[in-house]
Parts: sequence; structure tokens; C-alpha cells
Amino acid sequence: MSKKAEQSESFIVEGKLALPYAYFAGRVGSTFITTIRDQKKIMGVRCPACGTVYVPPRQVCDKDFTDIRNNWVTLGNSGTVVNFTVVRYDDRHLPRTAPFVLALIKLDGADTPFMHILEEVAPENVKIGMRVEATFAAKTTNTILDIDHFKPAPEKVRMTTERPEAGRKAWTPGDEPEMQEKRRGGKPDMSTPVIITAALTGAATMKNQNPAVPYTPAEFAEEANKCWKAGAAMVHVHARADNGMATHEHDRIRATHDAIKEKCPGLIVNLSSAVGMGKTAEQRISQIVAVRPEMASLNTNTMNFSIIDRKTGKIFIDYVFENTFTMLQDFGKAMEENGVKPEIECYDMGGLDNIMLVAKQGFFTYPMNFNFVWGVAGGQAFRAESFIAMMNALPPKANFTTCGVGTEEFPCIMQSCLLGGHMRVGLEDNIRMPNGEFAKGSWELVEVAVRIAECLGRSVATPDEARMIMGLKKK
Amino acid sequence: MAHRKKNRNVGIIGIGQTKHSSHREDVNQPEMIHEAVSAALTDANLTMKDIDCIVHGNMELFEMVHQPDLWHTLGTGAYGKECIRITTGGTVGMTIACASDNLVASGLYDIVMAVGFEKLQEGHTTGGITNMADPLWFRNLQTGALTGSKAYELISEFGEERAKRASMMYRIIMDKHAGLNQYAHRSFGLEFEQLDDLIKSSPKLVGDLKLIEMCSQSDGACAVIFACEKKTKELSRHPVWIRDHITVHKEEVFQIFGYHKDYPVLQSHRFAADQLYKRNNIDKPLEYFDVFEMYDPASWWAVDWLRDFFQLRGDEHIMLVEEKEIMIDGKMPINPSGGVIGSNPIGATALIRVAEAALQIRGDAGKHQIPKPVKHALASGFGGTMWTVLMMLEKELNWQEADNGGILGNQR
Repeated sequence: MSKKAEQSESFIVEGKLALPYAYFAGRVGSTFITTIRDQKKIMGVRCPACGTVYVPPRQVCDKDFTDIRNNWVTLGNSGTVVNFTVVRYDDRHLPRTAPFVLALIKLDGADTPFMHILEEVAPENVKIGMRVEATFAAKTTNTILDIDHFKPAPEKVRMTTERPEAGRKAWTPGDEPEMQEKRRGGKPDMSTPVIITAALTGAATMKNQNPAVPYTPAEFAEEANKCWKAGAAMVHVHARADNGMATHEHDRIRATHDAIKEKCPGLIVNLSSAVGMGKTAEQRISQIVAVRPEMASLNTNTMNFSIIDRKTGKIFIDYVFENTFTMLQDFGKAMEENGVKPEIECYDMGGLDNIMLVAKQGFFTYPMNFNFVWGVAGGQAFRAESFIAMMNALPPKANFTTCGVGTEEFPCIMQSCLLGGHMRVGLEDNIRMPNGEFAKGSWELVEVAVRIAECLGRSVATPDEARMIMGLKKK
Repeated sequence: MAHRKKNRNVGIIGIGQTKHSSHREDVNQPEMIHEAVSAALTDANLTMKDIDCIVHGNMELFEMVHQPDLWHTLGTGAYGKECIRITTGGTVGMTIACASDNLVASGLYDIVMAVGFEKLQEGHTTGGITNMADPLWFRNLQTGALTGSKAYELISEFGEERAKRASMMYRIIMDKHAGLNQYAHRSFGLEFEQLDDLIKSSPKLVGDLKLIEMCSQSDGACAVIFACEKKTKELSRHPVWIRDHITVHKEEVFQIFGYHKDYPVLQSHRFAADQLYKRNNIDKPLEYFDVFEMYDPASWWAVDWLRDFFQLRGDEHIMLVEEKEIMIDGKMPINPSGGVIGSNPIGATALIRVAEAALQIRGDAGKHQIPKPVKHALASGFGGTMWTVLMMLEKELNWQEADNGGILGNQR
């Protein structure tokens, strides 16, 4: 018997099952779906016992069986793709024509992902970890498709938001026990707000390395303002000529300083007394006395300050950075006499010892403010134990901040924040983000510092709080 | 598990159920289940940490949810625990009780929670049941869960008036019982004086099966916690012991009726009862048991099935109803809870029979507590196509010594 004949004698009942149903969403589910429909807002619930934030929400935490129905939290509309698939076949039950992307999306602040359609991006460009945001439907269907779809979102940018201290009570110096004693006990004091400094240029970083490096006064002002908005209390400035070269010209330095103060009056401007390679002692200090910023750097030892290939050890530029005891003494006195608070730059423990020798003359005002600098070719590399040794060697009531060259920037500022110190970031020290991509500006590195502070539960200092902490007189 | 085959004894230490209702719009399925589970945990003074395994039961596809046990984890508390899903049709609530008993008795788990559930308002019961029938010669013809054949049989045997009055009498008694039960779905406040009017006025569904005689479609859940003898004694001040249970079923198609000349009607009830009583040395079940929670889908079936479950002859079962001996203060109280006619969240329904029988033994049934001591309880489940499950519950663990009434002797 042929196959066809077999089939022709086989009777087939063609059927169709109709199984209508209604689904009672419950109160929690009802709030979730109607809030999306009526307020275009996505809500979740947080378990008070284990802290898990569920989106979509549920009445009971499946981990600890806690009733969580009333602990609503509003999530934003943006999140991250944690997984996805590309639907490549067409079927009546599918919400879109193939090919389309179904993604598991974890909203910012949620612990659980939920599935939705991801559009406005070619399937081949979808990646796990990409940022997405919800687009709500123009007309409701009373379903989860009231969120019409998700689409790629710009990277999270803080520029449009308020400064990180918004809404909190201003910090005032309390009757605190001796800080140094606390530090020695290995218990850092993290109660003070953390001062974030943005070092906008330095003397060496050029636009061909990162186009966000400012040269003109207007560019400095713009970049400084962005850093202030992102959370910086202070900017550290090496003024540049229009061609990008570091300059000791008083007029240009004053113009740069004033442009920043005009654009962003509250911000503390900290000028460099190093200026750049090959400058004389006179060129370096006279501009400070002329412009009289609130703060200026004071370098602490004569040292190699070279440009070396970090991988091969090849020497590109060999340079000795001169800071004799006489210069320490003269620069320090000039600053203090002109109401400029020195930021004491220590490239190793010897520099710290140098300044403490000169300090015996008694012209430094308290508190003294130190900056531990890591990774200069000629100075010490960042090591956690060296950091602690430096901190333990500080004089009473001293403040410390830190900066690191290149990738040393992030671990050193994190350790400083952890130990109750402050943080300096910026294109002078480092031109890349932690993931290796170019920073869009010093402000983006400031955002990293703000996140570190947030992770450690430290508040970010306003410029006025920074002045109180560092003993500056506002100008 | 048959008592004498048991590795160890099993007790009921926690009981919880929801209010059964036609509509529970305020909760979704896991949320409703959570109410019953929480109530059972509270009743047992336990937390989810104490539960070793969850046995989940409901009807296949009645709410159009595939693998509901996984989704219902939010309500059952099965996260990170063993969870088994069982679906055997209307019997499922009883089957999960039997499975829980077996799981504990075997020694696999010390404490097991059975969770039965249904939200019939969300689905389409007849649509679901229809799938059970053979597509070639029966699916297009059958009427889902509704059948009039039992009414026809009773009318043929006992005459139209007596049969119809017995059915409606049973119905009114169930309504009165349901009125005493705070969890029951339906209670209309029917009176015996309305009996003849109701026979005339209630719309007929199939044959002489009338709307008011049929069970409800309810939303509800029930959870019962089973524990091994050691744990039961440690944790419960008033445990109820599982003595024995039996499951009997026939082939899974509807045309069983009239299939064999020797078995023209449903025989699984009688067969199950005969086997169960024989192996437990009970020769007068009507004397032995103090209460019977019966799965009664419709009053016609209920009246007829009393004869099978109690091994009665002639019209003894009709007389039990006529003389109101099945009432809460009668000789053999049937369904003090109001039964399935009062509340029917199907996946929970048979488990509620076990729960209610156990509450009667504990003396915790509240307003529908039987006014005499309850030592021995019987509960039944019905469904599948033709499934019967019977479970015997006892107040005392050493029931042979505690009560000799009806027992021929302990032949252990």
C-alpha cells in the first residue's frame, strides 16, 4: 500500500478548542498596570526584609514569604538589557512582525528584569548591558503594551540633574575629636563631606589626546561649570595659550581664572605653581601673587618628572622638576602672605618630610592640606600600604586628597574616600573612564568620583563646605 | 497509604482555607493561595522554613495557566523547596492529600503541605472538561460536568415524587449547613417549606438536574499540613491522624455508562468503600463514622452515592435523607460545611473535605461543629472521569484500642 493510500484511509478530526478566560490581576497587579496606563509610570515593590525590588511587583516576596504589597517604589523609565533574543518567525500570537527583539530589561533600581519589545535598533546592534528606555503607547490597550516598546537610551548623564548635595542639610564643622588619633586607630572618619577636585588640564595633556581639554578661558569656564554641576567643589588649573601650550603669562592666567569665577562664582579655583616644564621659580610664583586664587599647588621635592613609555620603559622626555628647600620656603611664604592656601603636593614620603621640615619655621596656617600624587614617572606608584603610611605621617588636623596618573586614578581616589580623605580627578591626570573609553570631559570623571562617594555613603562637599574643611577664605 | 503498609504514621497539624466566593477580583491566583497557606501556617504555628515539600493541585487548564505550580510559588512558598504538581481532575484535592500522606509516611519528608486551588471565574469549566471526551465520537456531543442520568435512575427506581423530593431535601439541608460555615460560598437561606416550589421553579439544566441542585463555581484555596508521627506529637496539641485511604478509577472516557451489563452505572464508589472497610475491619460504616465530608457535585448524585459509600441496601439512603439524619445533629451528619454544592473551587474542593473532616475531629469547626464527639471521620473525592478517593481520619492514634464499635478486632 502506498503512503498516499494509507493517509487517504486515515480519518482526521479537525478541531479547535475555545478556552476563554479572564484573569484577576489582584490589587498589586492592578496598581502596576493602571499606573502605567494612567500615569505612564512604572512601579515596583521593595521587600522590607531582604531589600529586593520586584518589577513587575508582587504581593509576597518569594524569597522570605514576607507580605510586601504596600512597599511601593517608583522606578524610572530607563534600564539595562540583561538578556535578549531575536524573534525570526512570524505567528499570529506575536506582537510584532519578525524580525524583532524581545529583551529582558532590568530597570534602574530594580532587582528583577521583565520582558518587553526592544525597537529602534537593528537586532545585530543589541547588546547585553545596553541602556534602554520605555516608550509609552499613545493609545491604551489596557495591557502591558501600554508600554509600547523600549528603545536605546543615551548613556546615563548626570549633567541635567541637580548637584549631588541637593536636598541634604549643609555640613558644619562639629566639635570633632582629633582626626589624626582616629586615623591611627584604623577607623577612618567618613562623616565629613568629600571634596572632589577636577584637574582640568595640567601642563601636558593636549586636545589630540582628548578633545575635551580646555585651552581658551571660555573653554575653561564651560568645562569648570560642567564639573561643578557634576559635583566638584574645586578646579585645579594650568592655564594654556591658544595653541595649547602651558603659559605663565599673568594676563592669560587671570583671564582664565576670572572666566571660571564669572561662569561659576561659587567654585574654588586652585592654580598651579608648577605651570609647566622649563618655567623659572619667578615665573611660577609671580602669577600666583598676581592673581591670588583661593588655593594653589605647592610642590615638595626636586624630582624626575619625565615621560616614559609605561610598557617598554623607553624615555621620551627626561626632565628634572626643581623644588628646592628655598623654593618651598619662598613659595609657601608668598602664598600664605597673599591669602592663598597651599595645596601641598607629595609625590612620595620624602616630599612630605621636606614640607614638615620647612613647616618648622611656622609660616603655614592650619589646617594643612595635602595631595598624595601617584604614578608620576619620577614619583612613587600607587600602593595601598604606601597610602596608609603617608596618611599616618600627616601632621595634626591635616586634610588629604589624592590623585593618580592614568589608571591609578580610580583605585587611589577610592582608597582616599574610604579613609576619610578627598578625591581629585580630571583630564590632567587621566583621560579615560574606568572602562577604557575616553572621558567626555573632566566632568565625567567627577561623576565617577561622585558614584564612589555614594557607594561609601559619603556626602559630596559643596564649595562652601570645602572652604570650611580646608580653611579657605572665600574671595 | 494503607495503614498496615505504612512506614510511619502521619498526622494533620495545620489547616487553612480562604473564604470561597464567586469573585475574588482583589487577588490574583498566587495571592489567593497565599491566604490559605498563611492561614494553615498560622494554624500550625509554623513558618515556611518548617515545610519540607509542597504538593500542588488544581484542574488542568481551567484558568488557562500552563504549569501553575511554578507560577504559584509566590503563594505556596515553594521557593527553594521540593514541589510536586498533581492533577487528577475533581479528585485532585484528595489526591494531593493522599500523596502528602504517602510522602511523609515513606520517610522522604517530615512535613508536607498540600495546596489545592481554583479560580473558576477566570476560566471556562465546561470548555476544560470537554477536552476529556474522545474527539471522534463524543466531544461534540457531551455536556461537560452536567449529567441528568442519575436523576433518571433515581426516578426510575423510587418514583418521580419521592426521588425529586429526596434530592431537593438534600439540597436544602446543604444550604442550611453552608449557612453555618463562614467560608462557604453559597447559602440562600432555603427552608424545607420551599421544597415543592423549588422542584417546580428551579430551571432544568440536563434531564431532571436543576440549576439549584448543581454545585457552584467558586474561587478559593485550601492548604493542609501533614507531619510524621514524631513531629505531629511535638508540634500539635490536637492532631488528626490519617488512618487509611484508597483510590479507585476506571477508564478515562465518558461512555463508561452502560458499557457493561454487570456494571451499568458508576461502581467505583461502592468498590472503593468495600475494599477500604474490608481491610480496616469495618463492617458497619454507618455506625463507625461520626461524620462524612462527601464530594457531592449535585444533590441527585449525593443521595445516590450515600448508598454506595455506606454499603446500604434498598431505600435506606433515601430514608436517611427524608428523616434528616444527614443533618448536623443527625445520625450521620453529611457535609456540615455545606459541601461541594455550597463551595466548589475544584482543585481545592476535595482537600476541603479532608480539612473539614479534620476540623470536626479537632472540634474546631465553629458554628458548624457537630454537637457530639467526633472520633472517626470519612472524606471522599470524586472526579477524573470516574474516580473515587476515600480517606479515613481518626482522633486517636491507637484507634483500634480506643473504640471497638464496628471493629471486628485488631488482626495486626
